Amino acid sequence: MIIGHDDTQLMLAEVGRFARERVATAAARPERPMGDDQLATLSSEAQALGVLPSLGDEGCALWEHPANAASMAFSIGALRHIGHANAGVAFAWHRTALAHRLATHLGITHHASGALDLALAPTGHYGLARTSLAHWLRRAPSDAAPAGADDARLMADWLDRQSCATTVIAPRAWNTLLWPAWHEGRFAWRLVDREQLDAPQCRAQHGLDELAAFTVRDVAPASVALPHDDATALHALAHALALDWLGLLAIAVGALERGQQMAVAFAAMRQQGGVLIARHPAVQRMLSDIDGARRQADLALASFGAAIDDIDLGAVASARATLHPMLCDAANQVVQVHGGIGYMSDAGPEKILRDLNVLKLQGGGVLAAHAFVAGWAEVFA
Amino acid sequence: MNAPKRDGHLDGHLPPEHPLSPHAKYRDLPPVGRLLSNYAVRDLWDTDFARLPWPLARQRRRARDFAERHMAPIADALDLAPHLAPGECHPDARALLREAGRQGWLSYFLPRPLGSMPWSTLAYPAIWQCSVIVEEFSRSCGGLMLLLSAHHLGAMPLLLAGNARQLLVDLPSVYRRCERGDPHLMAFAITEPGAGSDAEDGHGAATYRPGVVATPTAGGWLLNGRKCYISGGDLATSVTVFAALQGEGMESWTCFHVDAATPGFRGARTERKMGMRASGAAELEFVDVFVPHARVVGALRQGWAINRATLNASRIPVAAMGVGLARAATEAALDFARRYTLGGKPLVHYQEVQLQLATMVAETRAIRALVWQEARHAWRPRQLHASLAKFHATDVAQRVCEMAMDLVADHGVLHEQRVEKIFRDVRLTRIFEGTNQVNRLSLVEDWQGQLLDADHSMGV
Ligand SMILES: Cc1cc2nc3c(=O)[nH]c(=O)nc-3n(C[C@H](O)[C@H](O)[C@H](O)COP(=O)(O)OP(=O)(O)OC[C@H]3O[C@@H](n4cnc5c(N)ncnc54)[C@H](O)[C@@H]3O)c2cc1C
Repeated sequence: MIIGHDDTQLMLAEVGRFARERVATAAARPERPMGDDQLATLSSEAQALGVLPSLGDEGCALWEHPANAASMAFSIGALRHIGHANAGVAFAWHRTALAHRLATHLGITHHASGALDLALAPTGHYGLARTSLAHWLRRAPSDAAPAGADDARLMADWLDRQSCATTVIAPRAWNTLLWPAWHEGRFAWRLVDREQLDAPQCRAQHGLDELAAFTVRDVAPASVALPHDDATALHALAHALALDWLGLLAIAVGALERGQQMAVAFAAMRQQGGVLIARHPAVQRMLSDIDGARRQADLALASFGAAIDDIDLGAVASARATLHPMLCDAANQVVQVHGGIGYMSDAGPEKILRDLNVLKLQGGGVLAAHAFVAGWAEVFA
Repeated sequence: MNAPKRDGHLDGHLPPEHPLSPHAKYRDLPPVGRLLSNYAVRDLWDTDFARLPWPLARQRRRARDFAERHMAPIADALDLAPHLAPGECHPDARALLREAGRQGWLSYFLPRPLGSMPWSTLAYPAIWQCSVIVEEFSRSCGGLMLLLSAHHLGAMPLLLAGNARQLLVDLPSVYRRCERGDPHLMAFAITEPGAGSDAEDGHGAATYRPGVVATPTAGGWLLNGRKCYISGGDLATSVTVFAALQGEGMESWTCFHVDAATPGFRGARTERKMGMRASGAAELEFVDVFVPHARVVGALRQGWAINRATLNASRIPVAAMGVGLARAATEAALDFARRYTLGGKPLVHYQEVQLQLATMVAETRAIRALVWQEARHAWRPRQLHASLAKFHATDVAQRVCEMAMDLVADHGVLHEQRVEKIFRDVRLTRIFEGTNQVNRLSLVEDWQGQLLDADHSMGV
């Protein structure tokens, strides 16, 4: 289904209402993360609303039509709304929707039993393989020249799913994992059942408390790779990364906006030094930093509301490398404006900060994004 | 993936035996040149250890041993333990407090026989000793460090303003119980629901209507009101509580040494915190709590000065918390970079990782240098120096923790990798003991005489 700009606005208004009324309400107690059942219920509702994809139904779910600019703008806007209500829920829906999108792109059939059945790990076990991944992706699919030996070696290691565990954050109920892997000397995608994996749940993770972290590895050497050619596999990886990074950014901006609203409201209510703290330049400066970071990220997001093939992956990586640390700084200021209460888990700001930290570290993290940007630019230098 | 042991050199660097590798060649220089250039390559902790006067160095080593042996092993369990109701103490924390008391870590602000401070350290400011210890404890666990350190904050008003009896009888008896392994913990209570920054900043206090008030009664005072966010307040046997005298403003603040067993005193709730979870922050309720005259610390209406002097003494150790946490984050990142391999070699071989680690180690050592520089002279800690050290060290420390998380990347979110906990712990140091904004203002407050003196040409 192809949508236009007006449809997008209407659909976003609808998602915004759903996020406020259902997701934010369910997540109203930041110190008590929503349980698996509640997440599953909300996810079914999101499926019924068409935000999350359903098997066999074509619609306008998140990331369903990345070739369409309006649909991209919808996905980014929707994740921003949901991230505003709760970053954990937004992350779960983002990754699961992206996994569905990739499965379709790759022509894979899977039999998801629940809305959150399918998990995705779009990157290798650490970072983004320095500059090698960028080199690899930047080569034209038809490029006859073999990739450099160093790049090939690094890619093989980065996607070695057996010796190296990959951190995966997902709803506890996931059953199947889609991830890129190294298979018989080449790059491939694999769809693996959870029982075929060694995937212990970690004791705790820094944020996104609604979900869990797993360290995942293949138990046996990868035997089944998905049937497709190199070009399709690489194309899907480039899409996966671009959409993943955009999703992470959109969720982070939504979450920060919520923090900003909390900080502004608190500053307009809390009195210290004989006046409302909003009158102190120290607090004004923090509020301004928060606002500036959110606006810059919003501007960047708006610029990515284009058809996926018109989006430069290096530009997304670059935005990520610059904006995520800035958004985390802003979330820190949200905590700081609140003073002591900002540190308490029942108040909200500290969770926003933790969630933003996790979003920064997902998808390879930001340190790796710098190397990726360099590698991306280097090929044509 | 774990790295195999490798010899030789790091990528991008020459092996030590290479002709262009300078260090090994210094020993071949002529005697004077050798004397001036040939250095020993030591572990950085050992380097700074050797730079400390030996009595403090000895305390540093003892503190590290204690922290590694008794704090680090229980740090995770306490961080992840369910939230406790006021007055409850995790059995591991209870055992730690006992052991810490027995080993003198709860009584080191007075020399023997009054406390446990070795006589040899008396030649140096107690703040310096405290900072060295706090760094080691923070490195092992921020929360457990706070559990032990909040006690010293609570005792500080007795040290700074106590009369002879309070100083020579009351405080030593607190210390003796600690040393017997039956800790008498103390807590420090200035913050009120309506006054956080206003309890730390004179300009704010001037307009604040006090929330905890002392009313005269036969033989003493009755305290009423609420204090909040008091570290260790619900576990404390006694608390130094700051209250205004009935009908007067903050200038009447008076410090009362309140026995927690007094009727009307109650730990009303404890906060659910982001980090430093091994230490509780309690809301304390006072309903007609009787405090005899003998337990007024200093004189009536001296509370504000005692409070500020206490903060001047405690903010350098808070800066040291930043150092300890930055060091913990750097060590965790180093460990990860040496162990974790990508492309067949440990991450530490990659230049971007080396740059990150180099910055982290430099920042950590720079704030340690700042803390030691200020602590070394902190016989009468100046507000400007204490505030500066506090806000700068803790701001930098958080940046170092963020760099560590970035380096550990996708894995940095896992509790198992340690850095996420360190981040949650360090985040507090920029908020308590005065937010870092208020500490900046505190620096200026202390400087204003010179700032306003047009004839004074100012040096920095
Ligand atoms: C875990 C924890 C443990 C603590 N332990 C103790 C303890 O043991 N004993 C104790 O007494 N207290 C303790 N505190 C209290 C702590 O010192 C205060 O939280 C801190 O001073 C900040 O006060 P506040 O929380 O009321 O924030 P607020 O004062 O409300 O500050 C809110 C914001 O306004 C800014 N602001 C306020 N006033 C001004 C001004 N005049 N100019 C410019 N900006 C301003 C602040 O910088 C901050 O950004 C603890 C707090 C926490 C979180």
